[in-house]
Amino acid sequence: MLEFRTQGFNGYSVKYSPFFDSRIAVASAANFGLVGNGRLYVLGLTANGVVAEKWFDTQDSLFDTTWSEAHENQLLTAGGDGSVKLFDITLDQFPVQSWQEHAREVFAVHWNLVGKDTFLSSSWDGTVKIWNPNAPASIATLPTHTCTYSAAFSPHSPSILSCVGSDSHLRIFDLRTPASASNHLTLNIPIHTPPKPRMGAAAPPGIAPTEALTHDWNKYRDTVVATAGVDRLVRTFDIRAPQAGPIAVLPGHEYAVRRVSWSPHLSDILLSASYDMTCRVWTDGSAMGAGSMKQDNMLEDPMVLGGGREMGRMGRHTEFATGVDWCLFGAEGWCASTGWDERVLVWDARALMQ
Amino acid sequence: MANQTGRNSGAQDRLSQVADHLSGAKQTGKQSLLQKHPDDIVVTAALRTAITKGGKGGFKDTAAADLLHGAFQALIQRSGIDPSLVEDIAVGAVLAPGGGATEFRAAALAAGFPVSTAVKALNRQCSSGLQACVDIANAIKSGMIEVGIGAGAESMSQQYGPQAVTEFSELLEGHKTAAECKVPMGVLSEKMAKDKGIPRSEQDKFAAASFQKAVEAQKKGLFDEEIAPLTVKWTDPKTDEEKTITVSKDDGVREGITAESLGKIKPAFSKDGSIHAGNASQISDGAAAVLLMKRSTAQRLGQKIIGKFVQASIVGVPPLLMGVGPAAAIPVVLNKTGLNKDDVDIYEINEAFASQCLYCINELGLDQAKINPKGGAIAFGHPLGVTGARQVSTLLTELKRTGKQIGITSMCIGTGMGMAAVWVAE
Repeated sequence: MLEFRTQGFNGYSVKYSPFFDSRIAVASAANFGLVGNGRLYVLGLTANGVVAEKWFDTQDSLFDTTWSEAHENQLLTAGGDGSVKLFDITLDQFPVQSWQEHAREVFAVHWNLVGKDTFLSSSWDGTVKIWNPNAPASIATLPTHTCTYSAAFSPHSPSILSCVGSDSHLRIFDLRTPASASNHLTLNIPIHTPPKPRMGAAAPPGIAPTEALTHDWNKYRDTVVATAGVDRLVRTFDIRAPQAGPIAVLPGHEYAVRRVSWSPHLSDILLSASYDMTCRVWTDGSAMGAGSMKQDNMLEDPMVLGGGREMGRMGRHTEFATGVDWCLFGAEGWCASTGWDERVLVWDARALMQ
Repeated sequence: MANQTGRNSGAQDRLSQVADHLSGAKQTGKQSLLQKHPDDIVVTAALRTAITKGGKGGFKDTAAADLLHGAFQALIQRSGIDPSLVEDIAVGAVLAPGGGATEFRAAALAAGFPVSTAVKALNRQCSSGLQACVDIANAIKSGMIEVGIGAGAESMSQQYGPQAVTEFSELLEGHKTAAECKVPMGVLSEKMAKDKGIPRSEQDKFAAASFQKAVEAQKKGLFDEEIAPLTVKWTDPKTDEEKTITVSKDDGVREGITAESLGKIKPAFSKDGSIHAGNASQISDGAAAVLLMKRSTAQRLGQKIIGKFVQASIVGVPPLLMGVGPAAAIPVVLNKTGLNKDDVDIYEINEAFASQCLYCINELGLDQAKINPKGGAIAFGHPLGVTGARQVSTLLTELKRTGKQIGITSMCIGTGMGMAAVWVAE
């Protein structure tokens, strides 16, 4: 396990470069992101350990970052002051572009993986905005009317995006639909829908809606999305059956889950980072044979669904774990995590998986 | 460096946002109740006919189904809902033979609902109207239907009597608790009042207050919003002449009732008893209807949301203590919703008898000022199957008028049950 200290700054998000297997970006904030500066680190994995190749200071906290899919030296940040900034790591100090439209904290930025000329941001102001890096203003604003913690483009289509937020709904937007009163909203899936009761198990209890903090698109199954949040459960949904409730429910985290990320290599594996200071590796049970393993708690807990299970956990963080990401290259399993303990950890998930 | 964005409250906001992440997992209680979500079950219209005196009042010659027909028409007209969007209607009724299933379906068709709108009748005694609303809410929640109506209809003038209860078999008569199910309400309430030590003076005081509150509310026109006036035929008992009248007021409400004037009435069920016509609910006729759907549906249809249904509870109690029903059901629904009893702004607890209502209020330690602020069944009547649906319109209009939000409707149920539901006005 490799380690880097973000001295004086609490980590909020970590992202591997899609171009280099040795480059990692970290969005961080002083004073736990409550008040004060933010700092964007660009870290290099070298023979001498993890070194900071570059960093950029901002006036307000940074809550998320994403690499440009079009330019290997550029990346975006989500700012507490409502700004979205584009940095170029060949330059010093200042961003090459800054967009100030959101009225409140921006909590997610994500680059379009297919149509590489757009990216999005989501904010506590209840909107998701679509941007083009060359345009001075956003090209679309999608209202969600709820504090939107997480938004992402589908990795399979340039015009489909999704978001989750305080109101416990997974929204899917399709930009190909006509701009109408619904603002491209095509699906609005209640995340707290209890799973269908199974034979031999008690019917699941009604679940009150709680804030959804994170979600991610599966990289192989283009209709599968994982969500997680305050109710501590990781769920997966199939957007082809929006009324059917979750297809997998994975209980285990002891506090709210801050980040989920599907493996870029294996279609059933995902990582989560939680306020309980752990990062966990899960299978959602969709891979052949994964569900046949005996599970002790299967019949007692009606919320367990889909045959998924926790495969291992990384408990080295000593404060809230807030960000986790997979390395796209090399041996499948390398990942990086960050948290409020001012540390970035780089580790191999395969060492934990059982 | 301090926060230089010029927003001083920023740090506090962010702190509370993160704090919510940590505490939010068990999020229940008042704050979560007041949040608006697309899958909330909301009420977009709730109304009732006037409630009139059994055998004498304005609806004495009108069939229950005709009252229901009137309530349906008013509901369609007031809400502006396209009747073909209503997928199911549940009607609570207690006395109608066969539950009223046939004539209520006919009433829906006559009121303008297409044949594709289903109708059912149901009977959970005095909570039938509430049960109808809850059934519809649950059907919407589960995705069985999108838009539905919970209703109640009762003509105690025409259908009250011994035929409403089937004779008990030997088997039932031979089982002690089972046999107690058919002890008349008045008799068992008398016994309960005695056992629980609720003196007649207290009951009369409570009953007189109900009348006074209702008179006051009627004078101020506080019922006008919830009542849909209905034009019906009415035979004058003196002249036998048939007239057409429009009924828009509860005619059981009497002025000048005081605890002293009630004190002079002879007890109805036993010589030394405490229950009499003045401190028990009136025999009445009426109908009520509540239009329910998801918030997302209401927004799509442009329906005006007046409140939401949150949660209901149903509990059983000993048949002979049926009056304690609300005292048993209300804590359960408070627990389910994580509410404190003080979080609730108004309690609509059906006044089947002053004795039982008073017992429940004391048992739960509720604030008298929050109970039935416009009076209750003692003042304007308790048409059995209607009351539960009637309370919804009474509650939501009063919450709105007073700028309050959270209300509970509850009632005791014959044969020993209690039901309660939490509503939020918007």
